[in-house]
Amino acid sequence: MSVKTFAAIDVGSYELCMKIFELSGKNKMKEIDCIKQSLDLGSGTYATGKISNEKMDELCRVLKEFAAIKDAYKADTYKAYATSAFREAENSVIILDQIKQRTGIQVGVLSNSEQRFLTYKSIASKGEAFRKVIEGKTAIVDIGGGSIQLSLFDKDTLVSTQNLRIGVLRIMEMMQHVNFKRAQAEGLIDELVTAQLSTYKKLYLKDQEIENIIIADDYLSPWAVKSVKTGRLQSVVKLSETEELMQILRTNSNTYIANAMEITEEKVPLVLISAVMTRRIASLMGAEYIWAPGVTLCDGITYEYAEQINMFRGEHDFEEDIVACAINISKRYMGSKKRSETLENITTTIFDSMKKVHGLGEREKLYLRLAAILHDCGKYISLVNIGETSYNIIMATEIIGLSHVERAIVANIVRYNHSNFDYFTQEGTTELNKEYYLIVAKLTAILRLANSLDRSHNQKLKGIKAKLKENELILQADTSADITLEKGFFEATEEFFVEVFSVTPVLMQHKRF
Amino acid sequence: MAEKRFKNPKYYTNRELSWILFNHRVLNEARDKNIPLFERLKFLGITASNLDEFFMVRVASLKDMISANYDKTDIAGMTPARQLKEVQVAIHKFVDLQYSTLNRSLVPQLEKKGVHAIKYHEMLTEEEAAYVDRYFSEYVYPVLTPMAVDSSRPFPLIRNRSLNIGAMVKRNKSDEEWEFAMVQVPSVLARVVELPSEGKMRKVIRLEEIIERNIQKLFLSYHIVCAHPFRIMRNADMTIEEDEAEDLLIEIEKQLKQRQRGDVIRLEVEDGMDKRLLRFIQGELQIGDEDTYEIDGPLDLTALTKLYGLDGFDYLKEPKYVPQQSTDLPAGCDIFEQIRGGDILLHHPYQTFSPVVEFVRQASRDPKVLAIKQTLYRVSGNSPIIASLAQAAENGKQVTVLVELKARFDEENNIGWARMLEKAGCHVIYGLVGLKTHSKITLVVRKEEDGIRRYVHLGTGNYNDATAKIYTDVGVLTCSELFGDDATAVFNMLSGYSEPLGWNKLALAPLWLKDKFLHLIAREKQHAQEGHPARIIAKMNSLCDGDIIAALYEASAAGVQIDLIVRGICCLKVGIPGVSEHITVRSIVGNFLEHSRIFYFENNGQYEIYCGSADWMPRNLERRVEILFPVDRQEIKEELLHILENQLRDNVKASILQKDGSYIKPDKRGKHLFNSQVAFCEEAVEKAKALMEESPLNTRTFQPEYHQE
Repeated sequence: MSVKTFAAIDVGSYELCMKIFELSGKNKMKEIDCIKQSLDLGSGTYATGKISNEKMDELCRVLKEFAAIKDAYKADTYKAYATSAFREAENSVIILDQIKQRTGIQVGVLSNSEQRFLTYKSIASKGEAFRKVIEGKTAIVDIGGGSIQLSLFDKDTLVSTQNLRIGVLRIMEMMQHVNFKRAQAEGLIDELVTAQLSTYKKLYLKDQEIENIIIADDYLSPWAVKSVKTGRLQSVVKLSETEELMQILRTNSNTYIANAMEITEEKVPLVLISAVMTRRIASLMGAEYIWAPGVTLCDGITYEYAEQINMFRGEHDFEEDIVACAINISKRYMGSKKRSETLENITTTIFDSMKKVHGLGEREKLYLRLAAILHDCGKYISLVNIGETSYNIIMATEIIGLSHVERAIVANIVRYNHSNFDYFTQEGTTELNKEYYLIVAKLTAILRLANSLDRSHNQKLKGIKAKLKENELILQADTSADITLEKGFFEATEEFFVEVFSVTPVLMQHKRF
Repeated sequence: MAEKRFKNPKYYTNRELSWILFNHRVLNEARDKNIPLFERLKFLGITASNLDEFFMVRVASLKDMISANYDKTDIAGMTPARQLKEVQVAIHKFVDLQYSTLNRSLVPQLEKKGVHAIKYHEMLTEEEAAYVDRYFSEYVYPVLTPMAVDSSRPFPLIRNRSLNIGAMVKRNKSDEEWEFAMVQVPSVLARVVELPSEGKMRKVIRLEEIIERNIQKLFLSYHIVCAHPFRIMRNADMTIEEDEAEDLLIEIEKQLKQRQRGDVIRLEVEDGMDKRLLRFIQGELQIGDEDTYEIDGPLDLTALTKLYGLDGFDYLKEPKYVPQQSTDLPAGCDIFEQIRGGDILLHHPYQTFSPVVEFVRQASRDPKVLAIKQTLYRVSGNSPIIASLAQAAENGKQVTVLVELKARFDEENNIGWARMLEKAGCHVIYGLVGLKTHSKITLVVRKEEDGIRRYVHLGTGNYNDATAKIYTDVGVLTCSELFGDDATAVFNMLSGYSEPLGWNKLALAPLWLKDKFLHLIAREKQHAQEGHPARIIAKMNSLCDGDIIAALYEASAAGVQIDLIVRGICCLKVGIPGVSEHITVRSIVGNFLEHSRIFYFENNGQYEIYCGSADWMPRNLERRVEILFPVDRQEIKEELLHILENQLRDNVKASILQKDGSYIKPDKRGKHLFNSQVAFCEEAVEKAKALMEESPLNTRTFQPEYHQE
C-alpha cells in the first residue's frame, strides 16, 4: 500500500501553520503533526498595504523551520498557500520571491474564492457530521482576518456564497481608531458589522430561514474543539447556549479570559469579535444551532491534494456545488434556466466527443459548463452589448472554487460567444497567458457552435448526439421540428470551429414521424 | 476550590521542618544496627551532603526573604524569621545527633572491625609521623596555597563548601599582636589517608590532620599559635533574570562563578577552636553564633561516601544488586518490534536501564527513523544517551534535545553536553524562559511500511544511566497513536510553537496538571459521597502543595481512604478529626532512593493509574514543565498497583507519620518482616531467571544451507 507524506502550509494573516499528513487509501487523511506560530501579517498590511521587512524576516525564519521539519518527515510533496494579507499586499510578488530564495518554499496566493472553497472542502471532509448538518438549511460562516464568507446550503446543495469585507483583524484595525470602553466593545462591533450584514440579508437571504450555522474561524473554533474534546461542550450548540460565553467575554478582563479559555491574551479581542459576529449572523438568519468543526485551511489544502492525486474521493460532489453556484448567479440575472440546461447539454456532448482533438480535461469541461450556464447573464443589464456586460458581471461575481484566472477564462468564453474573438499577441495586455488563451479559444468554439444549435431558444435540438469521424464532427439531431434557423447559424459559426480544431461540424437531422 | 476550613495553617507542617525530619529518617539508617557498617557510614555521609544542599538552597532563601523584609507566612502560618529560628535550632540538634552517631557508634564499630581512625595527629607513633611527613612533602605540599592576612593583604575569598585550616600566627613568639593565616585543604587529594601498618588493624588519618601537623612548613617565618579546620557554606539559590539575559548560556556560566562568592550562611569549626580565632573568622565572614556549628569530630562528613569505596570491606557492605533484564525486552531484541507488541513497563533499578539507552541507540542507527526528540534534565558524565543522540544527528536524523540548563547544581555539566550536541548537528533547546523542564520524555519518529509510527518513552526519572542504578523509577514504552500525537505536541510546545487544541492522554504542568490532580481527587470525593468505593494511593517524593493537601483533606472528610507514600517533605498532617482521619502517610528510606511518582485512583471500581515527573509541590505544578501520563495496558496497571501495595506492606524501611508530626517505624512484633525494595529485587531476579530458562541456549545453532534443485 502506498503511503504519501504531505505537508500543507498555511501562511495565514494571523498565524502560520503547517500540518503533516499521511495519505493512504486505508486511513485517508491522518494528521501526524501540527505546528503553529503566531505572526500577525494582517493588521499591518490592511493598514499600510504592504508587508513590512521585519514581518518578512520573521516569516522567512519560521518558514525555514517549517521546511526543516517537513524535510525531517521526508514529505513527498508540500503545498504552501498565503491568504488575505498577501492578496492585499502591494509588494506580495517581491515577498513571495524572497521567501522562495531564502527558504526554498514556493508559496502560492489563494484567491478569496479558492480559499473559501478549501475551507468548505475541509468542512466536508468531516464526512457524516457534515452531511447531517447540511440536510437542513445551513449557512457556512467562514470568518477570516480580512473578510468573511457566507455560503448558504439547501438540502445538500450550495445555493449562494458571498464575501463581506468585515474580517476579524480588519474590524480590530478599525476599532483601534475609535476610543471606547470595554463595555461598549460589543455594541461597537455589532454596529460595524450590521450595516454590511443587512444589505446582505436584503439581497441574498430575503425571507429564507436558516436552521444551522457552521462556523469556520481561527479564533472561536479552537476553543470550541478543545471544549468538545474535554467534554465541556456539545459539538453542536444552541444559539441560546452561547450567551454564557458572551457573558464571560463581556464582564471579565483579558487576562481572566485568556486563562479561562486557555488562549494567549492578545487573541482575546479577536475571539470577542468572532463571537459577536457569529451571534449577530446567527440571529440575523434565525439560525438555532451552531457547529464549529474546527477545520483549518491546511485540512482543505490536503483534502484537495489527495483528491488531485486520486488518493481518495470524497462523498460530496464539489463540482456540482460550483455549478449550483453558477446557476444561482444566472437566476439572479434572470437567465433562462431551460436554455442554460440545453446549452450545457449540447456543449458537454460536443466536448466529450472531441476529447481526442482538444485534449482538455475535467476541469476545462467545468469551465465550459459554467460558461454555458452564465452565457447570457449580461442581458439583465443590456440586450445590446451582452458579451461585454456578461463578462463584467462574471468578473465581478465570486464563483466559489474558482481562482481568479479560472474566472477570467469563464468570463472570456462568455464574452467571445457574443463578440469577436481577440487573437493572442505577444504585446497584448490580456489577463490570460498563452496556455489559458488556447483553452478559451477551444471552449469558445464549442460554445458558439452549441449556441447556434439553439438559436431559437426553443430547445429543438435537446437530444443531440455527436460523433467524431476523421475530420468531421457529426452532430445528429432526432427532432421533427423545423431547424432551418439553427442550420443557418450553424454554418455561420462553423468557420471559427474549423479554425480552432481543423474539424468540420456537420449537422444531420433524423426526422421522426 | 477546597473549603476554606481545610486551608487552616494549623493543619499544615512547615516544609523546612518536615525536610529535617526526612533527613532524620536517613540518619536513622546510619543508626540502624541491622545494617552493614559501611552502609551506615554511607547514610551518614548522605545526611551531610543533604544538609549542605539544604543550607545552600533553603536556608539561603529564608535568609534572602528576611533581608528583603518579606514576612508573608507559609502554608503553616510561619513567617520566614520564625521558620529560620526553628530551623536553626532543629539543625543544631540534628548535627549533634550526626556526630554522636559517628563518635559513639560508628567509630567504635570501625575499631572493632579493624579500622583505627587516628583522631588527632598528636596521636601518631614516631614511625607513622615520619610516614605522614613524607606524604606531606611529596603529595600535599606542592598543591597548597598558604595565605596570610595583614594590613596589605585582605581576607581571602574562601570557596564554597571548601575545608580550610585557619591559624593564628605571630611574627615573633613574644609578640602580642597576632595575624590570621589560612590554607585550603586541597579537594584533589583523598580526604582519608591510610597508614602502613603491621598486623590486622588498618589505620587511617584525615588529610587536614596531616596538614595541621606540618603547618609550620607553610609559614616559615612565623610562629604558629594554633591551627584549626573550618568550613563555610554560601548562598547558592540564584534567581536568573531571564528577560535581561541575552544569552541564557552565558548568564548561567556567570552565575556559576558568582556562586563562589554568595553570602556565607554557615560556618563549621572544630570544637575547641581558639575563641580569638573564631571571633576573627566570624567577623570577617559576617556570621553569627546561630549559624556557627562547633563540631566534635571531623568536618564535612560528605567524605564518608568516598570512604565507602575503600577496598577490602565488601563484607561490611550490602551485596551489590545487579539490575535484571526486563522480560519484555531481552538483550539483543529489536526494541521497536517489542513495543509494537504492546506497551512495556520498566521498573528501575530492579530492571536494568539499558533498554532506554538501547532505545535511543537503536533509533540513532535505524535507517527508518526520521527523528529523535528528548528532554534531558540531569545526565550522567559520559552519557551513552548523549553519544547516541550525537550519532543520530550525524546519521542525518532530525534530533531535537531540550537540555535543561537550570537543573540545580548540574548546570556546568549540562552546558558542556549542550555544546557538544550542537556541534554534532542537533537542534538544542535550552529550556523555556521562566520554567524548568522537568518532564522526562523521548519521542522516536519512524517511517514504516504502513506509514509513520511514533515510539514514546515516558518516565518518572531522569535519563541518567548512573542514577538509574540507585533511584527507583518507572518508565513506559509505547507506540500508541494517542501518546504519539501528544508527544509530538509536547515537543512542538517546547520548541516554541503554539500549544495543541487538546491532549489525548497527557496532562502537562504548569498549565493543566494541577487541575487534573484536583479533578481526580474531587472525583474520588464524589464517589465517596455517593457511597461508592473511593480510594487514593499516591507515591511521590514530596507533598507540600496547599491546594492539593486541602483537596485531600476534603476527600478524606468525605470518606475517601487515602494512603500516601511520601519519601521526603510532607506538609500534610494525619489524624486530625474531621479533616484527615482517613489519611495515612509513610516514608520509605532504603538502599535505593525512592523516586517514582505513581498515583492510583479507585474511580468506583474502574481504577486509573498515572505516573509522572511531578511531585505534589507548587514548584512542580506551577513552575515546571512536567508530564503526567495514564497507564492503559491492564498488565502494567496491575504491576504498578502491585508496586504500591508492596510499599504499603513494607514494615522494615517504612516510617509512619504520626498525629504529632513525628515518624516512627511500624511495630514489627509478631509480624513477618517485609522489605519492599528487597522484594522487588527478588521478583526481578526470579523473572529474569524464568526468561533464561524459557529460551534455552540450544536455540543458538547455525542453519546449514542446502543446494536445492
